Amino acid sequence: MLEVKNLHAVVAEEEKQILRGINLTVKPGEVHAIMGPNGSGKSTFANVLAGRETYEVTDGSVTLDGADMLEMEVEDRAHAGVFMAFQYPVEIPGVSNTYFLRAALNAKRQANGEEELGSMEFMKFIREKIDLLKLPQDLLTRSVNEGFSGGEKKRNEIFQMAVLEPRLCVLDETDSGLDIDALKTVADGVNALRSPDRMFVVVTHYQRLLNYIVPDYVHILMGGKIVKSGDKSLALELEEKGYGWLEEEFAGATQ
Amino acid sequence: MTYEIEQSQVLAMAEKRSGDGPAWLRDLRTKGLKIHREHGIPTPKNEEWKYTPLRDVARVDYTVAEGGPAVFDQDFGSLSGSPIRIVMVNGRFDRNLSEVPAQTGLIACSLRDAWIEHEELVQAHLGQVARIEEHTFAALNTALFDDGLFICFKDGAAVEHVIEVIHVSSGEEMVVVPRTLIVAGENASGKIVERYVTDGNSTCLTLPVTEVFTARYANIEHVRVQDEATTNFHIGLWEIKQVENSEYRSYNVAFGAKIGRLDQNIWLGGEHVVTRLDGVVVARGEQLLDNHTRLDHALPNCNSYEIYKQIIDDKATVVFNGKIFVHQDAQKTDAEQTNQALLLSPTATINSKPQLEIFADDVKCTHGATVGQLEEEPMFYLRSRGVTKDKAEAILVYAFAAEVLELISDDTVRDNLEKRLFDKLAIL
Repeated sequence: MLEVKNLHAVVAEEEKQILRGINLTVKPGEVHAIMGPNGSGKSTFANVLAGRETYEVTDGSVTLDGADMLEMEVEDRAHAGVFMAFQYPVEIPGVSNTYFLRAALNAKRQANGEEELGSMEFMKFIREKIDLLKLPQDLLTRSVNEGFSGGEKKRNEIFQMAVLEPRLCVLDETDSGLDIDALKTVADGVNALRSPDRMFVVVTHYQRLLNYIVPDYVHILMGGKIVKSGDKSLALELEEKGYGWLEEEFAGATQ
Repeated sequence: MTYEIEQSQVLAMAEKRSGDGPAWLRDLRTKGLKIHREHGIPTPKNEEWKYTPLRDVARVDYTVAEGGPAVFDQDFGSLSGSPIRIVMVNGRFDRNLSEVPAQTGLIACSLRDAWIEHEELVQAHLGQVARIEEHTFAALNTALFDDGLFICFKDGAAVEHVIEVIHVSSGEEMVVVPRTLIVAGENASGKIVERYVTDGNSTCLTLPVTEVFTARYANIEHVRVQDEATTNFHIGLWEIKQVENSEYRSYNVAFGAKIGRLDQNIWLGGEHVVTRLDGVVVARGEQLLDNHTRLDHALPNCNSYEIYKQIIDDKATVVFNGKIFVHQDAQKTDAEQTNQALLLSPTATINSKPQLEIFADDVKCTHGATVGQLEEEPMFYLRSRGVTKDKAEAILVYAFAAEVLELISDDTVRDNLEKRLFDKLAIL
């Protein structure tokens, strides 16, 4: 279970307050969507969960299955089961996807007291994942994200997610820059990975993605706080009315 | 501008060897000795040697290596897996350790044999490609060598196997003068790997000279790896002369030596020449690795590409000086030079100096030099997937350098060098 309590965070160098007391509980098997206008702090929230060091947590707590995540280094969070799909996946020329994934998976296995996978076993394992997600084989030999289209980069994120089998998946605006076909492919991948013991936090600006990844809960983030929660119908309401009516309603609360 | 120290034993040996070989070679040796006597060991006041401190070299009264051990404790392995493997020990062709199965169109033999059996070819190029008057240590090599390696790809030869050469320096406070001459005939193609290693922690002063001549339509790929112990001094000259329509691709990999200096000069002496000179340098501890490259575009319509990448850690220093001369006749020259350095510690140093001198007006010359540290975003990306910080650093540093190694066309050589690079970095 993911428990976020009264989470406050600033941009480390500017001391600019971005998160102002987020409370959120995600149980295994659940998909929670975090929606909000630009500048509401939703991407910051995703990145704080992943441990990005440009943000500094000033108050509150985050635990995953009882373990204090805020005490953990970035890689330790990954070993504990956190995975963030990046809004802008990074290109790393000269490192093959296969090498990268093997290093990541074996680091995680080692940290969890499991034996590292040899190269034969590993290849078998990732071929299964490629087939499961119906992804092209050349994803394995290409350098990490180098020269990938926007859609390919996001598919590669989902592929990594499938290989690392995280407990908590955080999707940071995964739909940005995708056309409808790419969006469907990515959503199909995410749906294939849904399971009773896996949690999803899906951060998005638009409702569109939630037609394909259907959430159990929808939360609206404004001014660094969750101002409204509901089921998937809340997303539809937002689609219809925009964020304006909420901004007026909660103008006082977010100051 | 010269250290006032007499290298008495070295000079005495050079005197002795100046009488060795046919008349033209004796003349060449005498010229070499004269040049070295005049120029000696340069001090940092000499502009070309400003960042290469040779005081420690000047301090030692070296002897000259005569042969070396017949067996070694370590296995120097093979980068190419090729059946052609030549081992040169302290400059001498080692017949027991070398394997040279006969190949159509290939001559690969001891230089001593070659100056008798292939005298015309050797005389035409040995000491003719290298401008020893501009390199005091190449001049000393010329005065001193008593053997070496001769490789010739005959006209039209297409030698499939890589020719792997391992130059071993062995001993304490000895001067070693490896000498290599490579001649590629018209339409010939071939690949060479020259690797410089040491027998344990040698303290030699290794002064290699390699000369390469590429005839019309020749196509040569040449990898040089300097992987000596960090107790050894290495000061080399690698000079190439190309004529029209030839293609020469070279990759300089410098990992080893306490002080490692290499001057690589390429003369593009014909139209439609294609040249690559790329480099990967990894300096750690207190190593000083200095690469001076010089390209002379003498005639029109030639292309040259140069990428140098340097990784510098601890208190190490790296020097890069990249000269490109575009002569007056060399219209339609296309020359690209890039130099990127990655500093991994606050005490690491890079001195980078691109130097373009252009005397023709219709040319395209670009150069760029960057110095930086590891970027944060890729680090975060790797760590967010569970890769530990140290390993993420090693992966990114590796990737930085691997971009150059990936240009090497031979799969086995490339893979083995990438592995060697990774091993060298994984212990950072």
